[in-house]
Order: sequence, then structure tokens, then C-alpha cells
Amino acid sequence: MELLRPSSPEEATGALGNGSRALAGGTELVPLIRDGLVKADTLVEIRDVVPRGVTGTRIGAGTTLAELELDGEIPQALREACAQAASPQLRSMGTIGGNLLQATRCWYWRLGFDCWLHGGETCFARDGAQREHAVFGNDKCASAHPSDIAAALLALGATLRTTRREFAVAELYRLPTDDDRNVTTLAPDELILEIELTTPDASTYLKAMDRRKWSFPIVGVAAARFGGETRIALAGVAPIPWLLDSVAILDEATPLPGTGYKVEIARALVRRAIEAI
Amino acid sequence: MGRSLAQVLRDDLGFTGTKVACGEGHCGACTVQLDGVPTLSCITLVHTVGDREVTTIEGLRDHRLIHAFVRTDAVQCGFCTPGQVVSAAALVAANPSPSKDEIQHAMSGNLCRCGTYPKIEEAIRTWQD
Repeated sequence: MELLRPSSPEEATGALGNGSRALAGGTELVPLIRDGLVKADTLVEIRDVVPRGVTGTRIGAGTTLAELELDGEIPQALREACAQAASPQLRSMGTIGGNLLQATRCWYWRLGFDCWLHGGETCFARDGAQREHAVFGNDKCASAHPSDIAAALLALGATLRTTRREFAVAELYRLPTDDDRNVTTLAPDELILEIELTTPDASTYLKAMDRRKWSFPIVGVAAARFGGETRIALAGVAPIPWLLDSVAILDEATPLPGTGYKVEIARALVRRAIEAI
Repeated sequence: MGRSLAQVLRDDLGFTGTKVACGEGHCGACTVQLDGVPTLSCITLVHTVGDREVTTIEGLRDHRLIHAFVRTDAVQCGFCTPGQVVSAAALVAANPSPSKDEIQHAMSGNLCRCGTYPKIEEAIRTWQD
């Protein structure tokens, strides 16, 4: 395997595609390559070419979660989502850009089952072990998206700047289809460079976990209030981060037999989040 | 796949104080510091370390935390202890008198299957004694 160290974003994107992958913190990509779930013959190290740090409302995609956790200027929902994500070492290594692109923790997908998301015919969670799985958008694939930070940015209405375009963070994600099993719209040779934040009047992120630290979300709820409008987004409930257009949408959830409890947890956390802001 | 920092530390350089338990970035046994930042050496590709300074448990042999871990009997089987000390050293460098909550937050990425957490917490709380 080859490791490239480009000196500009343009040089980096020129080296991407055709069996190469961008490497930032490596907390997700290195284990996925070792497990054979991602194939790559070349890694393009982007640590030195992607912006890092916070300037006003702009966050460099190479900023680590540990740096954001300590930043008193960013919205509370994002700070709380970073502080509750992963472990201290993973937060010190992992970048916000990489966090948005992490794959599901679905054990069938992670164990390399020939499941629907991997291009097969069957979602094994539907008739199998499913307590960590989805309650929305789950008719083809019942995997749950694990990013706390994505839910926070979705509620905050953040936008992304990549090497190609600027767009709302909601447009980074797509429900996979029969023709295209990807869960993001990012091109293979496109890099996230910056996140542009909004400034809410108040915001928060609440997370239900199996233990109090170092755990992926059973349900994460981000809420942000802009004047009279409150935006709510959920982590861990669908194959992609899930924007809740209204609280009533929770009544339209389609849980599997083993995930109904997530709807009740979401209901409680949404209520608490709205009360908190 | 390229070699990990943990492999090179242990197999090439003989710094076997750094332990590999899960080997996939979950348990914290392999924690070293890169420029003072706790980092999982089992999922760090050695070629990405660059010019950052690596601190392993061998570099902390005279740290007062070592004596605190012994004094408070915070070691049972000992396999996770190097990683625990490396994480704790970064914590007390930034915050010499951490609270119970701050200790639990900063140490949550170092698992101990013997369950010595209360004594590890005591060692860090009293490391300057």
C-alpha cells in the first residue's frame, strides 16, 4: 500500500478515486481496511491540506473532536455532541469531517455479511439481532447512522464547503437505493474542507447510551432554537442522520420488533431537549 | 496495510511497555502520546506519525503517577496499566488537580477488565501526594 502526502487540496483530490482513499484521523478508515470492508491501494493523507481550527462560524474539517469539545464559542449542541462521542483518544485523533462520513455500526455490515447495504439482497437485521437498529427509513436497510456530530449539525442547519461545492449538511446524506447503496453524496475525489455554522439562540444535544461514556448512540437528539423556530435532528435512528420536521413525525416511525423502545426514548429526549432550550 | 505505530514500537524498537489488546482502537491499552496528545498506537499508521514526538510508558518511568498507581494498588493483571498511565499523564499535565468527573471523562477510553477503576481514579486524584 502506498501513502501519499499532497501539499494542497487540489493535489489531494487529483490523487483520489481509482482505488485510493483520503486518510485524516484514521480512526474509522484503518480498522475498515484491516477488516477488508474498504479496499484501498493508496492512502492520501490530508492532515496538512484540510483546514483545521475554528474561525468565527467556520470550522476546518480537519479540526479534531477533542479541540471542538473545549471550544467555548461554538454552539452548545455541537460541543456536547463532540464531548459525548467516542473515547478521549478517538476524539483526539478523529476529525469533524471524518466523523460525518463514518459508516454504520450495524454488526452484520461490520462483520462482512453479504447484506443489502453491501450490495446483497437481504437485510439480516430484519430477522436477526436488531436492538441497535433503525426506526425510520428502514424498509431496505435497517442500519443506524452513528454520528452524534451529524445530528447536531443537521439541527443547527450548518452548511459544508467541499473542493467542489457548498451545500446544506442535510444534502450530504441520502437513503441508499437499489441502484446506489451509498449513504452520502460525496464523490470519491471530493473532500470536505469547512463547515459553516449558524448561530442559534440556544441548542443542546442529549444522548441515550448503553453506558455513560464511550458508546454509540441508542438515540441522540440535537435541538436548536432560532427565534420561534426549533430544529430537531436524531442520531442512531435511521441509515442516515434524521431531521425531524415535527415532533408528530415520531408517530410515523416504523420500528422493527426489537427497536420500538428507541421511539419511546426519542420521545422522552426530544421533550427534554425542547424544555432545555 | 502499512504497519502500525504499536507494531514498530514493540517489534522493531523493543519498547514492549505499550500493549495491544483489542487491536482496533476500542480499549486504550495501546495508548501513547503524540506531542502530548493521547493516541491509539494500534490504529495509527507509523508512516503518518511524521515529526511528532512519541511518548510511551517507558518515557514515564519516573512520573509520580507510577508511584501513585503502586501506592493505591491500582494494578491487578496490569495489562491495561501502561495505557492508563499514559492517558493519566496527559490529563494531569493539562489539569494537575482533576475532579472525579474530569478523571472519569478523561479516562473513559481506557478499559480495565479487572475492574480496578476506583483505584485508578484514586491514584490520579492523589498522584501528587
